[in-house]
Amino acid sequence: MTSKNAELELGLAEILADSGFEAPAVMVSGVASTGATRRTVFIDIESGGSQQRAVAQISSAANVAVLPISATAEAALINLMAEAGVPVPCVLGSDDAHDAVGGSVLIAEHVDGVTIPRHVLRAVEANSPVGEHLARQCGTALAKLHSAAIDRVPDSVPRVVEPNFFSAYVPTIVQALDHLQHSQPTFRFAAAWLEQNQPISSCEPSLVHGDFRNGNIIVDRDGLAALLDWELAHVGDPMEDLAYLCMRTWRFGNHHRPVGGFGSIESLRDGYTEAGGEWRDDAFQWWMVARTAWWGIGLAFQAETFTAGISSSIVHAASGRRVVELEYDLLAML
Amino acid sequence: MIDRPAAPELLEAMADTLSDVVMPACEGGPQHAARVVASLCRLLAREAADDGNGSALTTVELEEVLGEQGDLESLVTQLDQRLSGAKPDLSPAILELLRRSVERRLTIAKPDYL
Repeated sequence: MTSKNAELELGLAEILADSGFEAPAVMVSGVASTGATRRTVFIDIESGGSQQRAVAQISSAANVAVLPISATAEAALINLMAEAGVPVPCVLGSDDAHDAVGGSVLIAEHVDGVTIPRHVLRAVEANSPVGEHLARQCGTALAKLHSAAIDRVPDSVPRVVEPNFFSAYVPTIVQALDHLQHSQPTFRFAAAWLEQNQPISSCEPSLVHGDFRNGNIIVDRDGLAALLDWELAHVGDPMEDLAYLCMRTWRFGNHHRPVGGFGSIESLRDGYTEAGGEWRDDAFQWWMVARTAWWGIGLAFQAETFTAGISSSIVHAASGRRVVELEYDLLAML
Repeated sequence: MIDRPAAPELLEAMADTLSDVVMPACEGGPQHAARVVASLCRLLAREAADDGNGSALTTVELEEVLGEQGDLESLVTQLDQRLSGAKPDLSPAILELLRRSVERRLTIAKPDYL
């Protein structure tokens, strides 16, 4: 793999040298995943006589333009989270446009544990109190995340400009529906319901992870080891994160455990409120509907990339037949 | 004359082969792709064996609720429009129509989700 990745390895070493590593040498040891906008590779770093395992997330130059936030902004956010006490991997380097790498890159330390949802569920399945412990840890981590000073959040991170999170969100759902090629009456119904049933409660805006779910966390024998994938972070309503984590689609078949398929809402809420978070039940229920609609529309878009010939991914094709699951979840809540 | 095995039987056999033979022989991305394809084969087997109840909505049902006539596609578009704009129709009749459609489609797409 060394010769094939020689240019990438040299590029990553340059970025690490800029971050203070002493004469670093990098070797790509494997590919972790290849997502829609970026690929993740495992790397070994040799520097100053010691070795370190790390992870590099790379977006091609073509994809950099569609990333919601830049790699350096994501790195700054992760550093801010570390200061706030949120479990995150230590950032080792980042660059928004590196020629040898072929785009932007974020390099972070490797954290031991499992990330694949069915592996996470298998790890906690044998002993249900472990799942409750994990749900509580998720609540605690989110409370710390949401308490971070938003004046230190990079300017490029999206912010809700309307005073009302809810009235600002509904048009994004409607606009997405307008851009779909085929009619989606269930999601239209949900959008109208969201417009008419906005919560009464309100709160100050805070940093929101935006994709906090089973699949974007690293779990080890002690529970929550790290939160991953901050590219959908924004400033908005903190209850959005708590609801998103509890959507049925992220339970991976363990429907009786609403928090990621491994824990109860009581444990999540206890962890959140004991760490200083304010739980607003009306907003929680509203965001459950809103984010379920958002993800269902997202699956429909994935399917359209396949039917339009933009993507040949079988996963994108299969997404079209998963849309109905999200419709079912929505109607169960309306 | 009908050649056997029929489509549902073949699709089930393809799904079992992917699950029992291909998936254990690979890992990571290829294993995930095999799992997705096996799942799609089972979905298509159910669809091929379906007697038509799996279709989303029938023209008759839509005409009854909307009070309009047309082909299936134009009626679904009308339903979409009825739910859009400043005064969307969130009546129990429309909600019930959507529920029936979703439950039927899930019977094909993922029956254990119900």
